[in-house]
Amino acid sequence: MLIQTRRSLFLTAAALSIALSASTSRADKVLLNVSYDPTREFYKEFNEALAADWKARTGEAISINQSHGGSGKQARAVIDGLDADVVTLALAGDIDQIAAKTDKLPKDWATKLPNNSAPYTSTIVFIVRKGNPKAIHEWSDLVKEGVQVITPNPKTSGGARWNYLAAWAYATKALNGDEAKIKTWIGDLYRNVPVLDTGARGSTTTFAQRGIGDVLISWENEAFLIQQEFGADNFEIIAPSLSILAEPPVAVVEGNAKAKSNLEAAQAYLQFLYSPTGQRLAARHFFRPVDPSAADPADIARFPKLDLVSIDKDFGGWAKAQKTHFADGAFFDQIYKPTN
Amino acid sequence: MAMSDRLLPLSHAPKRATSETLLTRILLIGIAGLFLGTILFLPLLTVFVEATRKGWTPILESFQDPDTRSAIRLTLLVAAIAVPVNAVIGLAASWAIAKFEFRGKNLLLTLIDLPFSISPVISGVVYVLLFGAHGWLGPWLSSHGIEIIFAVPGIVLATILVTFPFVARELIPLMQSQGTSEEEAALTLGASGWYTFFRVMLPNVKWALLYGVLLCNARAMGEFGAVSVVSGHIRGLTNTMPLQIEILYNEYNFVGAFAVAALLAALALLTLVAKSALEWMFAGELAACRRH
Amino acid sequence: MSVPVRVRDVEKSYGRYPALKGVTLNIAAGELVALLGPSGSGKTTLLRAVAGLERPDSGNVFFGDLDANGLSLRERRIGFVFQHYALFRHMTVFGNIAFGLRARPRSTRPSEASIKAKVLELMRLVQLDGLENRYPAQLSGGQRQRVALARALAIEPRVLLLDEPFGALDARVRKDLRKWLKDLHRRTGHTTLFVTHDQDEAFELADRIAILNNGVIEQVGTAAEILATPATPFISGFIEGISMAASPRERQALLRPVAVQ
Repeated sequence: MLIQTRRSLFLTAAALSIALSASTSRADKVLLNVSYDPTREFYKEFNEALAADWKARTGEAISINQSHGGSGKQARAVIDGLDADVVTLALAGDIDQIAAKTDKLPKDWATKLPNNSAPYTSTIVFIVRKGNPKAIHEWSDLVKEGVQVITPNPKTSGGARWNYLAAWAYATKALNGDEAKIKTWIGDLYRNVPVLDTGARGSTTTFAQRGIGDVLISWENEAFLIQQEFGADNFEIIAPSLSILAEPPVAVVEGNAKAKSNLEAAQAYLQFLYSPTGQRLAARHFFRPVDPSAADPADIARFPKLDLVSIDKDFGGWAKAQKTHFADGAFFDQIYKPTN
Repeated sequence: MAMSDRLLPLSHAPKRATSETLLTRILLIGIAGLFLGTILFLPLLTVFVEATRKGWTPILESFQDPDTRSAIRLTLLVAAIAVPVNAVIGLAASWAIAKFEFRGKNLLLTLIDLPFSISPVISGVVYVLLFGAHGWLGPWLSSHGIEIIFAVPGIVLATILVTFPFVARELIPLMQSQGTSEEEAALTLGASGWYTFFRVMLPNVKWALLYGVLLCNARAMGEFGAVSVVSGHIRGLTNTMPLQIEILYNEYNFVGAFAVAALLAALALLTLVAKSALEWMFAGELAACRRH
Repeated sequence: MSVPVRVRDVEKSYGRYPALKGVTLNIAAGELVALLGPSGSGKTTLLRAVAGLERPDSGNVFFGDLDANGLSLRERRIGFVFQHYALFRHMTVFGNIAFGLRARPRSTRPSEASIKAKVLELMRLVQLDGLENRYPAQLSGGQRQRVALARALAIEPRVLLLDEPFGALDARVRKDLRKWLKDLHRRTGHTTLFVTHDQDEAFELADRIAILNNGVIEQVGTAAEILATPATPFISGFIEGISMAASPRERQALLRPVAVQ
């Protein structure tokens, strides 16, 4: 009995040491990029390109660890101590939260890099099933009787807020800014939503994998990804006449990067996003590059042309939009009453 | 029912102890079977079917992925730490509760049950509140360069917390029913405390301990909620198998997701098979212990 | 081998409930004494205090000249037989009886061969020859009780303490075992203290009887003494059953051992 106990202790210790030694890093420098869900594929390729570039310029091996999750949840984790060198999130508001709740980020982080620190943009489009059986071409088609719309819950999902605001922007234009009518219209839209998932990827799976709904409101880059993953002949991307300009921002978490002596590398990492290589890769992964000149023209040609409203100009910035639309008891709560 | 009114010689007594009709029995067995089939067996089957949908090559390929490999390694590591810790602490706590009278015993019992009754997500959040950058211990830990949360120690701690009751809950009722007299007997016979522990107490509870450890292990490998909160989701570093399954699934890599899920399910099934095999091998000894 | 046992002013309470309120009792070497009383009278607590399983709040227990308060359970070397036997369920009969010898520190542990000889000798003594490979679950109640006794005797105890030794057995087996125990005691000569709530058992077996009530010993004496002159009204009431129930011939039988002495 005693001998057995000793033996199993030894085996456990051996297993531990193997596992621990295997997880120690092999690079000179290790950065942690805390990002949001739909960027996985992009950053996988980008990180490789950056590591090659860094090696060529400095001779140092650099490796980048990636963390992905819902944008708000990721911001929360950084606030709680997740050791991010850079954050690449969905909403400026989430990075504002980090700046407000910790001293790891300057309040004016958005001014540190060009274009409000957004190296790429995206927008909100529709995805329908092959042949567009319900003939959906415009936001107004979504409130029609018998159309099932898939979009996540704006209370829990950052992407869903973009969807909501894009719809709101359209309604504002179509209904000449009559707030009561806009609310009714938005109410009609959400009444057509059979499943309100908590996150954007959940909605995608509901629509594409489980086959529920007639139209999915989605990030443009997600829409292309769905075509790529589930077959271009199964889904069609529909661009409405008007949508919203989404600017996913990036920032160096200076407090963490300094502590790890990574500040220079972290800054270089984000600057590389604006380089021709970074811009080309963003376009390849369906993000609209701020400087399309370096990108493959074929990639750029895939993006439909549509009018885009801006969160800052048309909604008065994220903080205001959040308060007006998504806070407890605000517009969305007034409009959306769960039916079951 | 009618039979019991008549006096029958013993040899003619009904073979069944219960008097329910055949129909009732078939119905009950049918309901239980159907329930287990749809709730338990079908989903499990789905996992394996989905994993092998595109043949074996993609499965083997998905196990070549360094992130997946690291997730498997991390899960085994976490279980290798959490399970022995819980076995030892669970054993100590059960012993204290079953064999001694002390102030605060009921409180301790309630605390042991707590991880069962609260959502694992809350268990995770509690650790964030405690060890997070703005938590009670966070500033002290970070100033000393100790990483707990969003690192392996946090995952291990969260897993230990969530799986703590499995061992203790198996042991307490058994130890209570066995009482203290065998240990007292051993002590009066001159045995030392350790000798009594290893020769009397441990053998008496070894099956319950084993069962608790196996359940604890299955749950430790499968824990999602608490680990998800404290992991930080750093690919190749702090993702366990369940988290990796979610990631792969969200990346539309369904084969990969189901392959890891199948491996996880297989590990869980393996522990149960191991338990049954041990029970079968030691059936005689087991029966002797139970009948006493 | 046998030593006298002296219990001096032992007090013990559980929380606010006093179980023993100052008990004094002297047992001669080789004597067989019964602790008799209704449930809750403190008899088991007294037995456990002598064994060292309970620590008295005050008072002393002496084995011969040795103050037992300072001794560990191992150093006390008492043979204790539990009411429900407390056999080690995962060990064979042989393993149970050998336990006390095998548990000794290496320096004083006998060789396996001499342990085996000793165990087999004890098994003959308690008439369980041939059952050494059985598990407790495979034995009858009477057989288990005898295994428990052999196990207690294996460590060559200074004192033998039995807690309701026949309490869990049916009436017929009890009668047989009583006679057998009396016989065994005569042969081995251990100073023996046993707890019972059964008057017949106490009066038939014991050299002397200590009757407890509410944590105090109300009377100590031989069966004849107690029957002849009950010390308190409680004793009169308590032994009433004996005088009433036993037929004259049975009472004769019952008194004989005392008369012989």
